[in-house]
Amino acid sequence: MSGVRGLVVEKLAVTGPAGAIVHPVDVVVPPGRTLAVIGESGSGKTMTARALTGLLPSGVTATGRFSVDGDALELPADPSAWRRVRGRRIVLLMQDPFTSLSPVHRCGDQIALTIRARIAFERGADRAAAVRRDRTVRGAVQAEVLQRLAEVNLPAEVARAYPSALSGGMRQRVAIAAALAARPRVLIADEPTTALDASNQGEVLDLLLSLQRAYDMSLILVSHDLGLVSGRADEVLVMRHGEVVERGRADHVLVRPQHEYTRKLLEANPSINDVMGSTAASTGQVGPTGQAGATAEFAAAGAVPLASTDDSFGPESLLFAEGIAKRYGTTQALAGVDVDVRAGEVVAVVGESGSGKSTLARCLAGLDAPDAGSVRLGGETLPPRRRGRTPDQMQIVFQDPYSTLNPVFTVEQTLREALRVAGRPAEDLTELLEMVDLGPEFAGRRPSQLSGGQRQRVAIARALAPRPRVLICDESVSALDVSVQAQILELIVRLRDELQLAVLFITHDLGVVARVAGRVLVLRRGEAVERGTTADVLTRPQHPYTQLLVAAARDDSIARQNHDPAGSLP
Amino acid sequence: MLTTTPTPARQASRALARMIAVRVVGVVFILLVISLLTFGLMYLAPGDLVKNLLGNRPTSPEAVAAIREQYRLDDPFFVQYFTWLGNALQGDFGTSVRMQQPVTTVIGARVGLTVALCLLSFLIAAIVAIPLGIASAARAGSTIDRVSSSVTLIGLSAPTFALALLLLYLFAFFLPIFPIYGGGSGPLDTLYHLVLPAIILAAGLGAILMRMTRAAMIRELGSDAVSFARARGIAERDVRWIALRAAAIPIVTGAGLVLTFLVGGTIIVETIFALPGLGSLLQDSVLFKDIPVVQALTLVVAAVIAVIAIVVDLSYLALDPRVRTREFAR
Amino acid sequence: MSGQPGAPPGSLPGPPQGSPHSGPSATVGPRTTQLRLLPRGPKPAWSVVASFVLLGLVALAAIFGSVVFADATKQSILDSLLPPFTAGHLLGTDELGRDVFALLVAGTASAVVGPLVIALGSMTIGIVLGTLAGYHRGWLDMIISRFSDVLLALPVMLLAIVVAGIFDAGYWMTVALLVLLFSPSDIRIVRAGVLEQAPRPYVEAAQMLSLSRWRIMFVHVVPNVWPLIVTNVLLNTSFALVTLSSLSFLGLGVAPGTADWGRQIADGRGLMADNPAALIAPAVLIVLVSMAINVVGDWFGERLERKGIR
Repeated sequence: MSGVRGLVVEKLAVTGPAGAIVHPVDVVVPPGRTLAVIGESGSGKTMTARALTGLLPSGVTATGRFSVDGDALELPADPSAWRRVRGRRIVLLMQDPFTSLSPVHRCGDQIALTIRARIAFERGADRAAAVRRDRTVRGAVQAEVLQRLAEVNLPAEVARAYPSALSGGMRQRVAIAAALAARPRVLIADEPTTALDASNQGEVLDLLLSLQRAYDMSLILVSHDLGLVSGRADEVLVMRHGEVVERGRADHVLVRPQHEYTRKLLEANPSINDVMGSTAASTGQVGPTGQAGATAEFAAAGAVPLASTDDSFGPESLLFAEGIAKRYGTTQALAGVDVDVRAGEVVAVVGESGSGKSTLARCLAGLDAPDAGSVRLGGETLPPRRRGRTPDQMQIVFQDPYSTLNPVFTVEQTLREALRVAGRPAEDLTELLEMVDLGPEFAGRRPSQLSGGQRQRVAIARALAPRPRVLICDESVSALDVSVQAQILELIVRLRDELQLAVLFITHDLGVVARVAGRVLVLRRGEAVERGTTADVLTRPQHPYTQLLVAAARDDSIARQNHDPAGSLP
Repeated sequence: MLTTTPTPARQASRALARMIAVRVVGVVFILLVISLLTFGLMYLAPGDLVKNLLGNRPTSPEAVAAIREQYRLDDPFFVQYFTWLGNALQGDFGTSVRMQQPVTTVIGARVGLTVALCLLSFLIAAIVAIPLGIASAARAGSTIDRVSSSVTLIGLSAPTFALALLLLYLFAFFLPIFPIYGGGSGPLDTLYHLVLPAIILAAGLGAILMRMTRAAMIRELGSDAVSFARARGIAERDVRWIALRAAAIPIVTGAGLVLTFLVGGTIIVETIFALPGLGSLLQDSVLFKDIPVVQALTLVVAAVIAVIAIVVDLSYLALDPRVRTREFAR
Repeated sequence: MSGQPGAPPGSLPGPPQGSPHSGPSATVGPRTTQLRLLPRGPKPAWSVVASFVLLGLVALAAIFGSVVFADATKQSILDSLLPPFTAGHLLGTDELGRDVFALLVAGTASAVVGPLVIALGSMTIGIVLGTLAGYHRGWLDMIISRFSDVLLALPVMLLAIVVAGIFDAGYWMTVALLVLLFSPSDIRIVRAGVLEQAPRPYVEAAQMLSLSRWRIMFVHVVPNVWPLIVTNVLLNTSFALVTLSSLSFLGLGVAPGTADWGRQIADGRGLMADNPAALIAPAVLIVLVSMAINVVGDWFGERLERKGIR
């Protein structure tokens, strides 16, 4: 092991109270190289990252050994041994910058904490307090703080700010600066961009990579998002249920996967290029959705609405809302938005956080009353709130599967109540479950016994029980694993066809849009900036913001298609 | 570039003034309601009001008339109330029926002792309980944690009077180091007399503080921010300071909880140890039905608690930058 | 402990929390969870078992005590001040010749029933008003919150002493008074629990099904606050026990001569030199019972918390 540079891991295994979480794995990451560890939830990827930094929760232990630049550590190791390694040679960058930074310390101070800890260690001191009192060092520490901030493209004034004053992307950059201030040889980034907006993700990731190059570090990228890592990683490790199912060079694994599971992951990750490419070429079936059919239909109709003032579809549409405006305190969440959906079609509303897309859904559903505008269903105007509305008009499938069902009710109780409200007999329960591909054995279970995907299916069943004419899906698949997302999207599309539902699909993910929606509305800061058929908006976006979104989404896809085998990154 | 720009000093101080004003108004409203209720006490109390106010003095038509005049008993209710309130705000709470002295004098003579007792017990409690809570949290599940949790359970559950009497018994018969009765004379002697009562109060106080500190620290030590700090090589003891800084917020909130305990405990402890403080004054006044004193004490205690509550609220500004941003940006 | 929990008036409800509708749509992909220490094993500690045993005995004594020891309050000057372990008097007698042990058992009912009624009554008010306030917000919430803030501004002991003393309140009137005084804290707790649940999607889904407000509040939301409620009822029982016995110790609430632990302790004060058991036995008993209720309450709370986590 000695003399080998970079990270070398031998037989790393993680066990928990219920058994093995990660089966023994060997890994080598030389300096300057990037390893992507891919897996869905429960794959053990996060535990592996934590095992390499000694930050496992109590009750979970790791065995094996690893070395950094020849300096080896046997696991399990006691705290004094970790002192040499964690935060010195290996640093973990965590997923959620909203919780990984202390809210009560200024950003500059948090970076300075790392620096002082490093200096203290180098001097052999026990605590950084001695370093803090040392005036000669103070200036140097301050200077380095500013230098670190500059390195992550943040201005000096951020040093005095608290994390709550910064956006997600900026917070993550502060975290990166704080992490790198320890001068590690190995950086492990656990889902570093998952909590950020789509438009930020690429930027932050590229920043990480450029810093890696500058410092010649070994980088491990843990992620669930294949699109994001392709084009950025040199090697890939695919994990499932604690086992490595495939590994190898990124351009090989991601373009020509050997293992069934990897293939499934790749397929489930909708790349808009894939879908758009086929659409432009033919009017045949594209994947499991009938999206191509919808495109053909519109092409035949001859009208391709791009301008937001075009309301030629308005009166015939089942759901027609115009001028929806809503203000919360000082923020104008929605500033007069029109949207319409016809029976049997899926209209997507796309935007990032703060775009007002969820507010729109809530206003349409009557959960919040809009300040202005009207909502018409089948020609009749709906009252602004829930009072006066009936369940058979509109239903919503919410985003978070973990709080969308009442935890104290069994599936049967939840659905029976929905059936009763709809005036349908209780015997329809089995039929309802079947509609969402759940067997009758699910009736007696509580939500805590169901997976995310199963819970979302029950939520869909509950929404469909009153036979609504309009179904609103508010980011209904965003919180699910990629492979499950595809299944739920399939289900929704199938139900749309079977029941001729008008579906309004709120999402931030253009891949989902490409897969499911016939028409799309793009929102930004409460305003509609573009609307039209999915084909048009995604292939020929007119508005600069749409272009930005599409470019960001395509980046990953293009990167995947055009990976340079020589290893130099764009 | 920042999503929220730091507020300029003038706007911040205006926002601060506004915050204080809002809270003061709220507190004043509550105190008014309480004052109305306490004043109404006099009317709702059973027994002949005049006889009550005469106390031990002989009943004669002149005395009755004098009382009726002094307390304006012939005036409508709200006139009486506002007169009383007006006087109270100037510091005149009337005359104690039992002691035949101005209420203010009676209270003034005893307030020092009670304040000393409260401060002493709070000090003892804080010095012992908070570090104990931090240490227990850092070594959660270990022997020291379990032992201290068990000990605090006693302090938390045991009624103050039971604890006081048991300890009294112990010190009276087996360990006569502390005086068990009276308030002593002279500052040092008084302090000596206060030690035992303060320890008993501190037992209950400390138990609450320790539990709160421990709970808050455990939550913080398990947080992502602490994990990230460890991940970047910050020493464990410095990590604990980071956690403590964040835990300070719920601990300060809980400090308010402590007040309610202290008031009740003081009354009992002063009664048992025969300390001439406000607590025993209240007890005696209630039993004697010395209403002016009871009214005054109730109002004063409520006012003090309310002021401390405002101070605690404002301390959030100093402790939590998120509150600062939110309040100042309005 | 002679006080009771209650936040001071006008205080913020703890550190600022984000609501599910504000802030960035951060959950993209796998959930963000903070790693927690794993919960302890399901086997209850010996302290929990012992507490249950003690409470069981107390319950028995409360039900049958006044029947078995019907003549506990009978005075007998001849037997006055017998020391413990005298024949027929396990803990000796007090200055009026009453058997200490008999008095203890007979006093269990008044020691236990009142606090239970207080805790349950207070929580009932808490559930009704707290749910209304937390679910509706707006003016209803404001009124209820102001009302509970006013009551919270004064410490329970102070008000209890003042009212019970001035009005010469008997046992049940004191209990009623304490129900009123304990309720603002329960209102706050239930309100906080409901506030946490109300924005959740399952509640909105119920609204989408056009269910009646009452059904949503009490069939959908309250069962999810139940763990919080039960734990608090247990803890309040302990506080009520302490408060009620403190009051009777001070001479308020119970008529002199009745079998009551607080009374016994007050009477036993003067007997410290002669028969210390007259004082120590009831004092230790109150401490133990209060501790037992707290232990059970804590254990229950932990169990429910573990089950509650997804």
